[in-house]
Amino acid sequence: MSMQSLFVGLSDFWAKQGCYLAPTYDLEVGAGTMTPDTFFRVLGRKPWRVAYVQPSRRPTDGRYGENPHRVQKHFQFQVIMKPSPLNIQRIYLDSLVSLGINLSEHDLRFDEDDWESPTIGSWGVGWQVMLDGLEITQFTYFQQAGGLELFPVSVEITYGLERLEMFLEQKDNIYNLKWSDDVTYHHLRFREEKEFSIYNFEQADTNMLRSSFAAAEKEAQRLISQQLLLPAYDYCLKCSHLFNLLDARKAISVTERVKMIGQIRTLVNQIARLYVDQEGEN
Amino acid sequence: MEFLLEIMTEELPSAHVKGALAQLQEGFSKEIRASGIEVSSLKALGTCRRLVLTADLGAGQPDQEEIVTGPPRTAGLAADGSFTRAAQGFARSQGISVDNLQVVKTAKGEYLGFKRQKKGKSTTEILKEKLPAIISSLSFPKTMRWADKSFRFSRPVKSLLCLFNGEVVRVSLEGLEASDKTAGHFIHSPVVLTANSYQQYYQALKDNFVLVDPVERKRRIEGQFQEKLTGLKAQIYPDERLLERLLWNVECPLVIMGSFPDSYLSLPLEVLSTAMREGQQLFSVVKGKKQLPYFLGIADAPSDPKNYIVTGNERVLKARLEDARFFWENDLKVSLMERAKQLSGVVFQEKLGSYADKVARLQELVGYISERLDLRNLKKDLTEAARLSKSDLLTEMVREFPELQGKMGGIYAQRQGWPETVSRAIYEHYQPESWEDQVPDSVGGAILSLADKLDTLAGISGTGYTISGSSDPYGLRRSALGVSKIILDKKFHLSLRRLIDKSVSLLKKKLTLPEEQVKAACLGLLEGRLRFILEKKGYSYDLINAALAPGLDYLDYAEARIEALSSLKASKNFEQFIMMVKRVKNILKDSPKAKLDPARLTEKEEKELYSALKIIRKNAEGMMAKGDFAGAQKIIFRLQAPLNSFFDRVLVMAEDKRIRSNRLALLAQVQSLVDQLADYSQIVGSSENS
Repeated sequence: MSMQSLFVGLSDFWAKQGCYLAPTYDLEVGAGTMTPDTFFRVLGRKPWRVAYVQPSRRPTDGRYGENPHRVQKHFQFQVIMKPSPLNIQRIYLDSLVSLGINLSEHDLRFDEDDWESPTIGSWGVGWQVMLDGLEITQFTYFQQAGGLELFPVSVEITYGLERLEMFLEQKDNIYNLKWSDDVTYHHLRFREEKEFSIYNFEQADTNMLRSSFAAAEKEAQRLISQQLLLPAYDYCLKCSHLFNLLDARKAISVTERVKMIGQIRTLVNQIARLYVDQEGEN
Repeated sequence: MEFLLEIMTEELPSAHVKGALAQLQEGFSKEIRASGIEVSSLKALGTCRRLVLTADLGAGQPDQEEIVTGPPRTAGLAADGSFTRAAQGFARSQGISVDNLQVVKTAKGEYLGFKRQKKGKSTTEILKEKLPAIISSLSFPKTMRWADKSFRFSRPVKSLLCLFNGEVVRVSLEGLEASDKTAGHFIHSPVVLTANSYQQYYQALKDNFVLVDPVERKRRIEGQFQEKLTGLKAQIYPDERLLERLLWNVECPLVIMGSFPDSYLSLPLEVLSTAMREGQQLFSVVKGKKQLPYFLGIADAPSDPKNYIVTGNERVLKARLEDARFFWENDLKVSLMERAKQLSGVVFQEKLGSYADKVARLQELVGYISERLDLRNLKKDLTEAARLSKSDLLTEMVREFPELQGKMGGIYAQRQGWPETVSRAIYEHYQPESWEDQVPDSVGGAILSLADKLDTLAGISGTGYTISGSSDPYGLRRSALGVSKIILDKKFHLSLRRLIDKSVSLLKKKLTLPEEQVKAACLGLLEGRLRFILEKKGYSYDLINAALAPGLDYLDYAEARIEALSSLKASKNFEQFIMMVKRVKNILKDSPKAKLDPARLTEKEEKELYSALKIIRKNAEGMMAKGDFAGAQKIIFRLQAPLNSFFDRVLVMAEDKRIRSNRLALLAQVQSLVDQLADYSQIVGSSENS
């Protein structure tokens, strides 16, 4: 097993379930949930099935490459099915079996864990899937996105690829994972983790980040007024990442945090509403 | 005849399962009984994947006689007594002979009609009719929708099994139809099973790794805990909440035991057990007060043949402990004093400012309380403790594990060389978190906790925030409970009113409500929690009302008053005394206030009452000032004899207005003395109990 055979295996499995395999989105995001392939498509009534790998950046999780489990960028395998199939839990279990996991030798649990992202006005109900005590997947029935009630309901399955791979390879250290037969995770990512940790925690220029946030927020507003919703949403994603960087620099007070999250949410909610209205017209 | 219902779902949160089972049992019992079906041996059980109800039910509704009415008598019977065409038409429409019609008297007058036997519905029919609504009406703290269904439930419903007397009852609910099929363990035996009775259902599930009865699961877990621990002569660190949660989370409990490297034992116990419990849901293993490098967990599997479950959990726990060590080492790099300076950037509450502001108020408040308690020697240490008390909010450990707030501050303070009084006070200053929780052990911890809670109480109430129903995001009830519990348990002799005055004066400029209103709100909250505590201690509501009537100030006195009342309630004098007091109160009810002129007391009995009152008052007030309410109570009982003679021989409502008002003034003095002890009129006498 290797990280790349995991990408390939899951892609193959979900393609067979009728999912369109989307290319990775080319902006920094905190989670696969935030890309347009999920955010826009769970809105409205049209059915949708998609699967994709998404690098997810969480600046505060950086550990300078020194912690065997936490990294400031990790990889998610994201699946959206709309409407949620009635036997989706079983399909999910089959995906694990397809990776060669003999479930009868393990303890697999769906453990209550509702998901919410105030930044994009979204929440859902579901579980973290625990395999022998390791959280390998977040499993969520989306109830609301962009402040809008969702119907039909989409199910989102987000595999944490490093976690799953550590389980499959029985490794204690993320950097010892195989990316392919002859390339390790360390080889590909160690330097990146180290340098970005220094950047995230010590070097990021907070004045520059603040002014960029303000500029991106303004641009998103302008684009909304032009009804250019996808570009406007891109600028919301930029705001979100800039916010996360400021947060890693501990440059945000509690009140400021509430205010900035509120700013992004307001924009995202407007975009969602306009998008649904436009879809209704088509 | 046996009834069995199973609602299979995707994993329900364990907190939802218990509530749903209780509602299911109650709703079923109510609805089915109301339909005239006998219900006995009703039992609800299940797991996070199935809600199960079983009962013994009657065969059906009893047959009933019903009266069918047709046209009014006047329209149905002709003058000669023969049936009119209207009557004949009615008989035909009902399929009976016209001769069967008779005159029926109803509330609306006389009609033609006939009796017929109405067949009761079968239980199967009733179940089909009622079950969908019973199931749909289950309420959960949070519900969801799935797929393209409009139905709401805690988690998606997968299937229904419904049997009555061995036969399937085809109940239908939101596109699902009940059958006699269920399924074994979702992972370990995902096969379809067919049931024809509860016993057979239960056994088939058991054979397929599902213990449907929570009692049996609990027994298995406890047995396996014992097995694992006896060799070590160790115990699990008790955690009822975790056990309860896991009990509903698993269908096939298996206790596993694992270990972690000794090197992590250098982390504080609090950190180790929190890292195990939160997220990992593991129990820590202790011997006495010492943490051992082991944990116990509850898996949902029949066995762990390849030891994957244990090693997997070990690996994850090690990662968590590694992270905890990262936080621990990082946190120690910055002193609490240094962090205290950064608190100005952390908001306590929007209108009340930052935690630095709060800390400044706490420093004043602990100084004030120390002085009031004559503990001036603590003042310096507690001022330091207050200054450092909120610094741990900025540590990474508390960010990761918020429930360690206070405790981490105390531990870091100790490591940074602060005196024991300081570190203990910080460690304990969130206690008590609930009624069951202990108050701080150390006096310093108690004082700091008191100050913190008073400040929250006065501050949050003072911004116009009130509690509504179960919503209490700032924990005002918890703060009020903490204040009352600490003062009582620590036997602090403190004036609550002055504490609140002091707290309000420190907050002054930040409060948006008038000061008097804030104080009243605080007292109201405190009184509510004090009543709750006294009820929990087993005092009846009437005694509580009586003892709290003189007003809330010194809580130790309030408790002493109620203890005195309670201990004397059994005595014979008590009841008579209460009658007397009620009589005095009644007489005085509508009387204007008057000044007593002792020279105008004429009758022997009123003079005697007056002199007795003077002596008793002097003694009783002296005792009350020292907090001896039981003594004061006993002395006041001595008013009874002179009062008795007074009422027997003296006419209070004398003709002469001046004499009358003087006698009323005498009684008013009696009442004002008695009122200092309690409002006796609130007490329900044994003869009044019904």
